[in-house]
Amino acid sequence: MNKMSSPAANPILSLDDVHLKLNSDAGPVHILRGIDLEFNPGETVGVIGPSGSGKTSLLMVIAGLEPATSGKIVAVGQEITTLNEDQLTRFRRDHVGIVFQGFHLVPTMTAIENVALPMEFAGQSDVIDRARHHLLSVGLGERLHHFPGQLSGGEQQRVALARAFGMEPKILLADEPTGSLDHDSGQNIIALLFDLQKRVGTTMILVTHAPDLAGRCERVIRIADGKVADG
Amino acid sequence: MVDLTLAGKLAVRELAAEMRGGIRGFRIFLTCLSLGVATIAAVGSLSQALNAGLRADGAKLLGGDIDLRLLQRPVSTEQRTYLQSGSVAYSEVVKMRAMVRPVTQRENRTMVELKAVDVAYPLVGSVQTTRDVPLSELLQKRGSNWGAVVDPGLLTRIGAKTGDVVRMGAARYQIRAQLISEPDRIANVFSFGPRFLVSSASLADTGLIQPGSQIRYHYRLILPADLKPDQWKTNLAQAFPSAGWRIRTPGEAAPGVKRFIDRMSLFLSFVGLTVLLVGGLGITGAVKSYLNGRIRSIATFRCLGASAELIFSIYMIQVVTLGLTGIAIGVAVGGLLPVAMLWLIGPTLPVQPALGVFVTPLALAALFGFLSTITFALLPIAAACEVRPASLFRARIAPINSRPKQRYQLAMGVGILALALLTIGSASEPFFAVWFVGGSILTVLLLGGGAELVIRLARALPPPKNALWRLSITNLYRPGNAVPGIIVSMGVGLSVLVAIALIEGNMSRQISERLPERAPAFFFVDIQPDQVERFDAAVTGIRGTSGYQRVPTLRGRIVKINGRAIEDAAISPDSQWATHGDRALTYAGKKTVESKVVKGTWWPEDYKGPPLISLDAGLARGFGVDIGDTLTLNILGREVTATIHNLREIDWRSLRFDFAIIFSPGTLEGAPLTHIAAIEADPAVEQAVEKAATDPFPNISAIRVRDALQAAGKILAGIGTAITGTAALTIVAGAVVLAGVIASEHQRRVYDAVVFKVLGATRRRILTVYLLEYGMLGLVTGLLSGVIGTVTGWAVIHFLMRTEWEFLGTVVGTTIFICMGVILAAGLLGTWQTLGQKTAIHLRND
Repeated sequence: MNKMSSPAANPILSLDDVHLKLNSDAGPVHILRGIDLEFNPGETVGVIGPSGSGKTSLLMVIAGLEPATSGKIVAVGQEITTLNEDQLTRFRRDHVGIVFQGFHLVPTMTAIENVALPMEFAGQSDVIDRARHHLLSVGLGERLHHFPGQLSGGEQQRVALARAFGMEPKILLADEPTGSLDHDSGQNIIALLFDLQKRVGTTMILVTHAPDLAGRCERVIRIADGKVADG
Repeated sequence: MVDLTLAGKLAVRELAAEMRGGIRGFRIFLTCLSLGVATIAAVGSLSQALNAGLRADGAKLLGGDIDLRLLQRPVSTEQRTYLQSGSVAYSEVVKMRAMVRPVTQRENRTMVELKAVDVAYPLVGSVQTTRDVPLSELLQKRGSNWGAVVDPGLLTRIGAKTGDVVRMGAARYQIRAQLISEPDRIANVFSFGPRFLVSSASLADTGLIQPGSQIRYHYRLILPADLKPDQWKTNLAQAFPSAGWRIRTPGEAAPGVKRFIDRMSLFLSFVGLTVLLVGGLGITGAVKSYLNGRIRSIATFRCLGASAELIFSIYMIQVVTLGLTGIAIGVAVGGLLPVAMLWLIGPTLPVQPALGVFVTPLALAALFGFLSTITFALLPIAAACEVRPASLFRARIAPINSRPKQRYQLAMGVGILALALLTIGSASEPFFAVWFVGGSILTVLLLGGGAELVIRLARALPPPKNALWRLSITNLYRPGNAVPGIIVSMGVGLSVLVAIALIEGNMSRQISERLPERAPAFFFVDIQPDQVERFDAAVTGIRGTSGYQRVPTLRGRIVKINGRAIEDAAISPDSQWATHGDRALTYAGKKTVESKVVKGTWWPEDYKGPPLISLDAGLARGFGVDIGDTLTLNILGREVTATIHNLREIDWRSLRFDFAIIFSPGTLEGAPLTHIAAIEADPAVEQAVEKAATDPFPNISAIRVRDALQAAGKILAGIGTAITGTAALTIVAGAVVLAGVIASEHQRRVYDAVVFKVLGATRRRILTVYLLEYGMLGLVTGLLSGVIGTVTGWAVIHFLMRTEWEFLGTVVGTTIFICMGVILAAGLLGTWQTLGQKTAIHLRND
């Protein structure tokens, strides 16, 4: 078996022959076709590939948001492909942070409430104080009680970053985090993203169309037609 | 100027595209509107059908073209000659209450509604009995027994069968057949006993016809074809200007039943309007939800140069088109409902309805529906006009939340005013309609205020330590929260239900549970003056009796207030009952009744002067009279004008003897009076008392208070069921609106749930948060409705019915419990669907 990974031992995340088939009106679509990958603690990995190649689906199966049709995924020492929906939810809460292109903040909650949310779900104390601290660290001290609709795209993504890193996850999944932002805002977000990743020491998997952005990662994987083409 | 042709084209095109997927998106709108319209149309149609039934059968129910009634005395020979000569057919009927018992089992006595008829009876229609023999033949005397045709209920009550012989007064009657129907009898609303139909020729043998006995003499006439009843009445009034008879024509055959139908229709139409009001709130929500889904289209129209007015016209045309569909459904269902109701509850209706299409109530329901559609859709459409073209450039579009222009707010105010005026203008009793409109507006404002208070309170509360509580409480004040929608939509219906349940509960208790501890067991009527001493001794001599009271009485009708005919006098609705028929009158030198004199003084015991009266203070308020004013009464054909000398506050619930009008000595003594009496008795001796009172005195009737109250309670329960059943529709409407509120929130909730799941919330946690939120909303709605319903119920009992109020905690508690159940169930259903959603599809980039 050809494991596409860097040479370090004890991976924090490994995918073994992962397949994903989805049903559509036109019949089943084979999206991931036998993905084998390993990720080491603290490394940054860029995932590139053409549209429809399966990049986002790869993140979804790693996050447990889309169940793999077959194959095995082990993350933080747990085989997540055997977990049920609630167990996956708890696994995500404790170990995974996600940043989306569309931010996916709760529109009826303020910035501070959005950041506090995963901590609340984890039953942590002083969540509001801690959320405030995280928002200050992304430079949004003045926007604590603003609703997402009252923030710019760049600000919303900063809230999403504060939320994703708030639980200091072992794995951070970023799906085109600058895709909805202008160039300057995108650059700021990327700088912040790498900065936070370094501070927390999380493993980051960054899906992007931009080769230069992927190039900032320690390793780049190219996906094509549901398979790892290079990396 | 808006190009309406263009607006129409765009509206129809967009609506048609939307409808291609079916009416799913418009279900809430159509249900809310058609439910309200159908209720109003059904109540109106049924009322018209019943009244038409009354009119169609007027002559039959009346017993002729004219029914002339005298109390306690028959017409004079001169009058009889006049009546007979002016008519083509003539019949005399005598009605009274009497006691009947089998000749073999004396203890099985019971009170009956006696009707004695002549051979000409009935002038219109026919009597149906269990035997195919002419009525006059059934009633004629054979040997020593007269014939009687009786209600089947009598046979059960006295343990007799057809062919048995019973005694009434001094006469013997053989039961020859059972009565199936009488043409001139309205289905029983309330009666003291089963019908006992005999020949009037037999009455002399009974010995029951005594001076002053409570006998009703009816004279029925068929007029010549060319003589109109009104003309005949005029001629009669000229011939006998102060005869004191009550004259009715077919149009007034059963005024009591007509009043009952009209009053019931009025209150049920209020329920219908409440359904429409709740539905109106649903219309607002549904239109808002629909327009939220059209923001991109609206923003695109605006980008391409459409004015706000054009946007308004496009969507108003769509709403009106849909509204007309909803109205058509409502009118069709409402128009057909009376047919279904006739099939279901026909036998219990007081009169058989004449089925047909009644244009007026259907048109009225449609007008209410149309006005509601426009009024309640105005603000969301106006708000949609404020959508900015820039919305197109945002990835995620916020729901419409802009404030409509002032002119639209003003237009909505005009719409509400028009609805209020239509409600008042179309009500048979505007007095009640004004209260209904005021109460409805106040209820909506209070519920809206309550919702605002909940939101503010939730925001002001220090955040609880428990994350689930914190999340559910913050959900209450988030932008676009469902608090006002749920509280107002469910609250209106629940308030109505609580109020009705409390009013009904209080009324039932007045009759059954709250009977005064020392209530009389019997009332005795028709005691002749020469019987009083023996009668007193007979009933008071039984051990176990107490509290005996007896007073002289006769009946009279109020005809003028301060010299003004009652038809022209302004009388408040709660006092009109006193002018609808004959009132029992008495006289007293010394005050013997328990009611307190609250204004003026009692006259001297030996008063000898012009007639004075002591009047019920409630009636005085209703008549708008005070001490020194006069009432004119027609007593046995003579008009007596008396000055009000004092006012008494009477507690009718005490069941003690009391009279709304008591005369001073010197006026009534010369009239043919009879006495009425009341006595308390241990249940064990009741039968002995009845026997002692009626065996030696066959002309005296004994009314068992317990039986009478049970009968009244049964009627009240029936009315209560009808009103509560209809009122339950307000809850149905509320539930539909609630479903709409939850449906409009569905997308948001799904999105929230997906994000919550991504961030680590298990399904159980999400479910708990939502259930806590809906539970709190249910509790608050229940409590608010409980308070509003209780205050409404109290106001009706206290101010309108003027009886004692008791708070019935169980009734309110049950209603709140049901409310929480409905809201929780709806919330649970909505949340369950939310939790079942696949996460990934909502998270992928567009």
